[in-house]
Amino acid sequence: MPPSPETVIEFRNVNKRFGATTAVDNVTFTVAAGETISLLGPSGCGKTTTLRLISGFEDPDEGTIEIAGESMVGKRPYERNVGLLFQHYALFPHMTVAENVAYGLKHRHWPKAEIGDRVREMLRLVQLQGFEGRRPGQMSGGQQQRVALARVLATRPRLVLLDEPLSALDAKLREELRLELKQILTAVGSTTIVVTHDQDEAMSLADRIVVMNRGRIEQQGTPDEIYAQPRTAFVAAFIGRTNWFHGRISGPASDGYLRFTTDAGTALAIPSPGTGSGEKHSICLRPERIAVTGAEAGAGKPGENLLAGQVVDVVNMGAELHYIINAADGRMMVVEPNRAGAQVRKGDSVNLQFRAEDCVVLQQDSR
Amino acid sequence: MGGRVLDDGFRLLALVLIGAIICFLLTPIIVTVVMAFDARAYLGPLPPPALSLRWFAQFFSDDYFLRGLSVSVQLAVLSVTISLCVGVTTAFAVERATFAGKEALISLFLSPLLVPPVVTGFALLLFLSHLGLINGFARLLCGHIIITVPYTIRATLAGLAGIDRSLTEAALILGATERRAFWDVTLPLARTSIVSGAIFAFAVSMDDVAVSIMLTDANTFTLPVALISSMRANFDLSIAAASVMLMLVTLALIVILEKFVGLNRVIGQGVFRS
Amino acid sequence: MKRESRRRPAQPGRGSLPLLLPAGAVFLGLFFLPMAGLFLESFRLYVPGSIGSSANAPLTFANYLELLTPAFAGFFFETLRISLFASLTGLLFAFPLAYWMTRSLSPRWRAIAVGFFVTLMFLSVLVRTYALELTFGAAGPLRPLLLSVGISPNGRGYIETLVGAGLLHYIVPMATLTLLGTIQNVDPRLVDAAQALGAPAWKAHLTITLPLCMRGLLAAFLFAFTFSISAFVIPMILGKGRVLFISNLVYNRFSEIADYPSGAAISIVLFAVALAIVYVMSHQVSKRWT
Repeated sequence: MPPSPETVIEFRNVNKRFGATTAVDNVTFTVAAGETISLLGPSGCGKTTTLRLISGFEDPDEGTIEIAGESMVGKRPYERNVGLLFQHYALFPHMTVAENVAYGLKHRHWPKAEIGDRVREMLRLVQLQGFEGRRPGQMSGGQQQRVALARVLATRPRLVLLDEPLSALDAKLREELRLELKQILTAVGSTTIVVTHDQDEAMSLADRIVVMNRGRIEQQGTPDEIYAQPRTAFVAAFIGRTNWFHGRISGPASDGYLRFTTDAGTALAIPSPGTGSGEKHSICLRPERIAVTGAEAGAGKPGENLLAGQVVDVVNMGAELHYIINAADGRMMVVEPNRAGAQVRKGDSVNLQFRAEDCVVLQQDSR
Repeated sequence: MGGRVLDDGFRLLALVLIGAIICFLLTPIIVTVVMAFDARAYLGPLPPPALSLRWFAQFFSDDYFLRGLSVSVQLAVLSVTISLCVGVTTAFAVERATFAGKEALISLFLSPLLVPPVVTGFALLLFLSHLGLINGFARLLCGHIIITVPYTIRATLAGLAGIDRSLTEAALILGATERRAFWDVTLPLARTSIVSGAIFAFAVSMDDVAVSIMLTDANTFTLPVALISSMRANFDLSIAAASVMLMLVTLALIVILEKFVGLNRVIGQGVFRS
Repeated sequence: MKRESRRRPAQPGRGSLPLLLPAGAVFLGLFFLPMAGLFLESFRLYVPGSIGSSANAPLTFANYLELLTPAFAGFFFETLRISLFASLTGLLFAFPLAYWMTRSLSPRWRAIAVGFFVTLMFLSVLVRTYALELTFGAAGPLRPLLLSVGISPNGRGYIETLVGAGLLHYIVPMATLTLLGTIQNVDPRLVDAAQALGAPAWKAHLTITLPLCMRGLLAAFLFAFTFSISAFVIPMILGKGRVLFISNLVYNRFSEIADYPSGAAISIVLFAVALAIVYVMSHQVSKRWT
C-alpha cells in the first residue's frame, strides 16, 4: 500500500513478544505530518514497547514499521532520524548544556559553523538562553526537561517521541510546561507521538488519542470522540469518570427509542439502533450529563430518563460541585459547574434527569 | 524504671566501648610516630627525652631498604598498569554481555580474593618454577598482577553498574553508533571508578607481604619483605621511620582518592565488602 | 502479516569475546593452572631432604593424612579459635561505633570519621603490626606497666591476645565501614515507634535494630573471619613463632623444610575451609535470617 505523502509513520500489524507475554498485539496506526497523537494506557499496556519499536531499541516479531515510506527493518536507532525524549531526560551529566544539545548535530555531521548557531537557536526556543555552559546537575527538573527537548528537536527529526514527558515534574510545573510544550511543538511543526498514562496529558497535548490496553488498541480518535463515544468499557472507565448501568436491551420504547432494563429493574430509554437485544450490555453515563432536579418533577418525556435517588454527599471542589447520590442501581456521581453554590444538601431526595442520547451503550467487558 | 537504668547502663557501656576501641586503634599509631623521632639509640620507655631525625637518616641510607623500595615501586606501577588494562577490558566485556553464566563468570574473576595470599604465592611459585621462570622480578610481577586484577575488575564493574542505561540509548538515538556511544558516554562516566580501582590496586601491591615473600629471591625483594626480615632480625626504630614514611604515602593516596573520587563513593561501591 | 523483521546485525554478546582474552590468559596462567598444580603437588610423595617432590613422585594421600594428627589439628583449631574470637569481638566494637557514627555525628564529623577509618584500612599491614608490637610487645614502653600488673609480655596467653588484637586492628575499621551502610538503611523511626509502644531503648534495639542489621553483620563477620584465618603477617610478627596460623605453617613447610607437598596439602585445606565458610555463611545462615 503506497503511503500517502503526508504519512510520517505507518505501524502495521505489529506483534512483539517477550517470552510468554505478548507486549504488542497486532497494533496498527498511522500518524500524518504535523499531527500529534498520544499512546495512552495503564502501565503494561504496550505503549512503552511500541515506543521502543519505533525508535529501534527493539525489533518487531511480525508486522511492518515504515517511517516516511521507508521500511525500518534492520535499521539501528542512529539510522532512523527519530527523536526520543526520555522520561528522566537522560542528559549526559559530564557534558555541558551546549554539548548535550549539539550531540545529535555532531553525529549527523552538521558543519561546525552551523552547530553553534543551531544550539543557540534551540536554547532560545526553550527559553534557556545563556545556559550553554551549565551542567545538567546544576539545573532544576523543569530546566533539564527543556534542555532534553532542545536536544531532541535540534536535529530536525522527522518524528518526535515523547516518553511520559511531564510525569517527572510536580503538579504545578506540569501544568505550566504542558502549554509551553504544545506551543513549542506547534511552532516547530513536528510530528509527535506522546506516550503517557496520564489522560490529562493526552487530552491536552494530542490531536488524536490511541488508547491501549494489554498490548491491543482499544480505540483511536480525537479526545472528544474518546470521551463522548467510548467504544469499550475499558475506554469509558479509563477516561474521565463514569456512572454505570448494567443490564440488557429489553425491547422497543416509544418514539423510536429502545428500552434498557438494568439488573436492578430500572427502565431506561436508549437511542436506537441498538447493538442487538438479549445480550448483556453496560451503559456509560458521564456525570456532567446528569441534571439534579427536585423529587416532585413530573414523569419523563420520551427520550428522557428520570431516576429517583437520595443525596449521600455534596463535595465542593471549588470550580465544580460533585454530588454523590444513591439510586436503585447504585452510587451515582453528578458533576456540575459551581455557579451559585450547592442547590441540594445531604439527605435530600432528588431526581436524576438525563437524555437517552447521553447513554453510551457498550458490550460488557468480558476480558 | 528498670528499663531506664538498663538504657543508661547500656548507653554508658556503648560509649566506653567506643572510647576504648578508638584509643586502641590510635595508640599504636601515635606511639610509632613518636618513637620514630626518638633521639635514643635504643628502645626505651616513653616519653622520649629528645627528638631527632636519626632513624629517618638511617632508613634512607640503608641500601637494603632502598633497594626494596625501588622494587616495590616498580612492581606497583607495572602491575597496576597491566591490571588496569586487563581489568577494564574484562569489566566492559562482562557488563555488556547478557549470557547465562555472567554471574558465575564474575565470581570466577573475583575468586583470587578468596584465596589466602600465601596459597596464591605458593601455587604460583611451584608453577613458575616448573615453567623454568627463575627471574625474581618477573615472578614477583606475576604475583602482583594476579592479586591486583580482581580489584580493578570489581571497581570498574561497580562503576559501570552505576551508569544509567538510558544514557547510552540517548546517545544511540541521537545518531551515535555503539562504538561512539562507548567513547562519548560510557568511558567518561566510568572514569572515576577506574581510577579508584587503580589506587586500590596500587595500595594492595605496595602492601603485599605473603605473596611477595613466597616469590622473592635473594636479589629481588620488596620493601615489605625487607622490613619483615629486618623486624625479625633486629627490632629497631628505623622500621618506625619506615612506618612513618609509609603512613605518609597512605595519606597521600587517601587524599588523591578523596579529590578524584570522593570517599563516600568508594564506600558505596562496596569495595570493602567481600 | 508478513514476517519482515530481521535480527539486528551486531550481537553485543559476540563482540565482547575477544575482549575477554587478556583476562582469560592472565587468570589461566597465573591462577587456575597454578592452583591445579598445587592441588596435584599435594598428592605427591615427599622424600625428606630433597626440595619439593621429584618429577616422577608417586601419588599418595600421606600429606593429607599427616594433617589429621593432633599436632596439626592443634594449629588448625588455634587458628580458628583466635579468628573467631577476633571476628566476634570486632563486631562487638564495630556495631556501636557504626551506630554512633551514623546517628550521633554531624555529616561533617562523620565524613572525617569515615576518612579516618579508610586511612586505617589503607595503612600497610606491616605498619600496623609493627606499631602494635612496638607498643604492646615485650620490648615496648608498656613493659613495666604490664609486669607491675602481673602479666608477662612473653606469656602464651598474652601473645595470643596480641595476635587477636592485631587482627582486630584491621577488622574493626572494615566492619565499621560495612555496617555504616547497613545502619543507614534502618529507619530510626522504627525504634521511636517501639519506644512509643513502651519498650525501653535497649530492648527496642535488641528486637528491631539488630535483626534488621543481621545481613550486614553477617557480611562483616564473613569478611572478618575469612581474613583472619588467612592471615599471615599478623601472626608472623605478633605471634613470635609461638602462635602459628595455618598460613605460617605453609610458609614454614616451604622455607624451612622444603616439603612442598605438605605445604600444598595444608594450602588446599586452608583454601577449602575458606570456601566452605563463605558458602555456609552466605547461603545457609543468611537464608535463616533474611
